[in-house]
Amino acid sequence: MFFKSIRFRLQLWYGAILLVVLSGFGFTAYQLERAREFRNLDAELHRRVSALTSALRPPPRDRGPGERPLGPPPLDEGRPDGPRDRSGPRPFRDGPPEDFPPRPREFILPPQQARLFEGTETNAFYFVLWSRDGKELSRSAAVPADLSESERNGASRTPEIRLRGTLREILLATPSGEIILIGRSAATELADLRRVKWRFLAVGSIVAAFGLAGGWWIATRAIQPVQEISATAVKIAAGDLSQRINVADTDSELGQLARVLNSTFARLDAAFAQQTRFTADAAHELRTPISVMLTQTQTALTRERNPAEYRETIEACQRATQRMRRLIESLLALARLDAGQEIILRERFDLADTARECIDSITPLASERGIKFECDLAPTEYDGDAEQIAQVITNLLTNAIHYNKDKGRVSVSTKEEGDAAVLTVTDTGQGISTDDLPHIFERFFRAEKSRSSGRNGLGLAISKAIIEKHGGMIDVSSEAGQGAEFIVRLPRFSGDSGARK
Amino acid sequence: MRILVVEDEVDLLTSLAKALREEGYAVDTSGDGEEGLYKAESWEYDAIVLDIMLPKLDGWEILQRLRKTKKTPILMLTARDASRDRVRGLDTGADDYLVKPFDLAELLARLRALIRRSANQTRSKIEIGDVTIDTAAKNISHKGHPVSLTAREYSLLEFLSLHRGEVVTRTTLYEHLFDEDDSSLSNLLDVHVSNIRKKIGPDFITTRRGHGYCIEG
Repeated sequence: MFFKSIRFRLQLWYGAILLVVLSGFGFTAYQLERAREFRNLDAELHRRVSALTSALRPPPRDRGPGERPLGPPPLDEGRPDGPRDRSGPRPFRDGPPEDFPPRPREFILPPQQARLFEGTETNAFYFVLWSRDGKELSRSAAVPADLSESERNGASRTPEIRLRGTLREILLATPSGEIILIGRSAATELADLRRVKWRFLAVGSIVAAFGLAGGWWIATRAIQPVQEISATAVKIAAGDLSQRINVADTDSELGQLARVLNSTFARLDAAFAQQTRFTADAAHELRTPISVMLTQTQTALTRERNPAEYRETIEACQRATQRMRRLIESLLALARLDAGQEIILRERFDLADTARECIDSITPLASERGIKFECDLAPTEYDGDAEQIAQVITNLLTNAIHYNKDKGRVSVSTKEEGDAAVLTVTDTGQGISTDDLPHIFERFFRAEKSRSSGRNGLGLAISKAIIEKHGGMIDVSSEAGQGAEFIVRLPRFSGDSGARK
Repeated sequence: MRILVVEDEVDLLTSLAKALREEGYAVDTSGDGEEGLYKAESWEYDAIVLDIMLPKLDGWEILQRLRKTKKTPILMLTARDASRDRVRGLDTGADDYLVKPFDLAELLARLRALIRRSANQTRSKIEIGDVTIDTAAKNISHKGHPVSLTAREYSLLEFLSLHRGEVVTRTTLYEHLFDEDDSSLSNLLDVHVSNIRKKIGPDFITTRRGHGYCIEG
């Protein structure tokens, strides 16, 4: 779990990169330091090489000094590929020319040069000189005791600098065939370099440690909002929908994510609250008729009753049952509309005809209270589910009658307005208060807090759902005391209607 | 015992009133909040059954306003059972709470308990001398023998027993035994008292001339 965490992986990558950078830097710096450390020593060695070679140079003749003879080497003088044959008895790369004057067997270093090799202490310069046939011609006092003959092998005409153990040496074959080895102990330089190496390692470790700690801190900080988000999400998953992510940094990528999640949570919360309220309201609505039935039947059963009393009880129960049936039908209609199961029929019908039918069927209800209809029904063709639209119209008309004053009017009109079929229902009732207006299409919302009207507060919610399913809009405008006007606007899909002609 | 029922669901209201009347209560009814509050403020009820969702004035409002002047025991009736609502109801001054749909028997028992409690009586049986009054079964016995009383005679006796030691005026008695629709004459009370005296002895209820009746503690 931990090793798969983003924080750990970030840290791993970061640590690896830090290590590569640090070791690259350390290696380069060490190499530079090493070169600097040996530069002085090497210069000193080179100085002594030139001093020695000039001391060895024969007195000037008609040929220039150092000029190499052009003739081929004698057959017995080794092979041209001498350097590759280091074990061979002839270490010379080029055989000395035949006419080269023989060296004296003993070589005495002139005093001026000898001063360069004075001293016997360990850090004194030393030299060894071998003749071309391998005899040692001379050596200084400070030559280390363990210097063996084989050290001269591999000498070439270009000075070759090397580090042998703690000894820094230059090996060189002179043009006349002698082999010079000049050296000095590099113990102090090497000790310096060791110190430098340890210092580099120490500093590198500290930097790496700080870097890793800093990296861990940064990774932790970068991951922290994610952890907050996940902690909040866990709480929400556990059922506490009121939780929100604390968005401190609003502009970062995570802040944006948190905002998006928060708005999602808010919508979830609202939807959930709405659902809970809806369920509670539905249960509440069902409780009232059930209490009627329970009280009615229990009262009736406390003693013997006459037929008229039983009849009364049964009638009351019937009313309660009818009310439950209406409620359940409404709830089912809403559930079907919510689930989107109902496929909208797109059949051509005249909105005016449908409105007229609805008015006809509801006229008895209006007449009871002396309410009159005023119709302005222009033929308005529309493609939709005529039965559902009729339900909407009936709902609106029932409302208009219920909330109207006695002997009031209900105006109904249908017309075509551009690309839409428009139906309006206006009443002359007490209107809807400004407080109630925004809630009027909510489920179970009732302006008057009572149930006695026999209305379940779902009519407008169902109407709205039906209209929206048809792609239309239902709107209400009202002024207190001036009645209310409901407008249904159903856009007509010209392509669709054309196809179904 | 006189009870006010405020409930906007007509079928529920009529059946409740009927059941209560059959239990021997005098019952007044009201279908909306305004009328309910008016009645509750105008009369001395022994208990009020109050619905919360009411037209014009809801149950909370009635409770709040009524509690400024009256201590009448109130049983709230509602379809909402959220405990928040119950707490609110009890805190506002309701004495009990019943969630719809309820059992009639439970409602009646709770009402009896409310009335008993408001008279500082803890048990459902009241014993005064030789007479035992069982307020739950609505019957009385005298020296161990059951005595048959009419519903109104029983109510009168129960009311006086719950207020024993107090002189109960004829007006108070009338107000608590007859509902608003009852046009009985108040001298009917004297007839009831004399009937009770015939059944359980002449000294149980004493008459205070010019004041009213009394059962001596």
